[in-house]
Amino acid sequence: MKKGMTIIAGAFFLAAFMVLSVQSQEDMAEVDPSVFMNPQRPAAVFKHDEHNETAGIEECNECHHVYEDGKLLEYESSEDMRCGDCHGLEAEGNMPSLVKAFHGNCKGCHEKQKGGPIMCGECHVR
Amino acid sequence: MHDVYQFVSGPLAWVAFLLFIGGSLYRIIAMLAEVKEKEPFIFTYMSLKYSLRSILHWITPFATYNWRRNPVLTVVTFVFHICLFACPIFLLAHVTLWDEAWDIRWWTLPDAVADVMTVIVIACCLFFLIRRVTQREVKFVTYPSDYVILGIVAAPFLTGFLAYHQWFTYPVFMILHVLAGEVMLAAIPFTRLSHMLFSPFTRAYMGSEFGVIRKSKDY
Repeated sequence: MKKGMTIIAGAFFLAAFMVLSVQSQEDMAEVDPSVFMNPQRPAAVFKHDEHNETAGIEECNECHHVYEDGKLLEYESSEDMRCGDCHGLEAEGNMPSLVKAFHGNCKGCHEKQKGGPIMCGECHVR
Repeated sequence: MHDVYQFVSGPLAWVAFLLFIGGSLYRIIAMLAEVKEKEPFIFTYMSLKYSLRSILHWITPFATYNWRRNPVLTVVTFVFHICLFACPIFLLAHVTLWDEAWDIRWWTLPDAVADVMTVIVIACCLFFLIRRVTQREVKFVTYPSDYVILGIVAAPFLTGFLAYHQWFTYPVFMILHVLAGEVMLAAIPFTRLSHMLFSPFTRAYMGSEFGVIRKSKDY
């Protein structure tokens, strides 16, 4: 009986883990704001796969960049990391703060591509 | 909308700031040149001490006889001007734009506080409007342009409030907000809003004349 309970509990946790991990990119609906202590705006709307389909992005490192000594490493990619692993809440030397990195990566590209949201409330939707 | 926003927040912003800064310098230099030509005698009794005495009294609530005479108007005037300046200058969204464009940033207000300040500015504008319409002594010195100026000042706050809360069509009000701010900036040197530039000079002159020549207070 006790063994049965352990198996059921184990299966339950495994299922929960699978559901949670599947929910990473495909179902991503907004940029995770949990690192921000006192966010002033609603989390930025961002549907990962839908965005890349619309924008025609094939390579992960179009967004998930890697910089070394201020230079973009063309063939490196950082999709296995969190943006906040490098970008702190405050800017450090050449490295922009997390907020500025998000704004630069999203809005900066939208401005260049002449498409996609560029006004505050287009991403920070109430 | 993309192109319109790019245009109003790019080239038009440059035009507005150039008109504001260039126009302000021009108005101040032209005023000083005019004084030099018509009343150069004024420069002989300008006094730093009496200038500062006058300015300090007049920027302190209830520190002058005139401020004490109408307490409600005094409170509204001070609250209005503090919010009018502090809210846009220390607004997080504005500082974010300065940071992205010029890599400069400074202390910011919480959005909730700025929101309240915006409502205060709009309410004060309504107060000034009602005062202009109902008070005989104000009506007497009111030109039609004064209503336009009041609208020019209220517009950035009204549109900013609507854009912030994303009521109605957000992109339209966002663009109107940028435009309204640019109109206000550009209007400062060329309308009665120029009291922003001239009031320190007016007070310095009055303070010096009252202090040095009439040996009395101007407050």
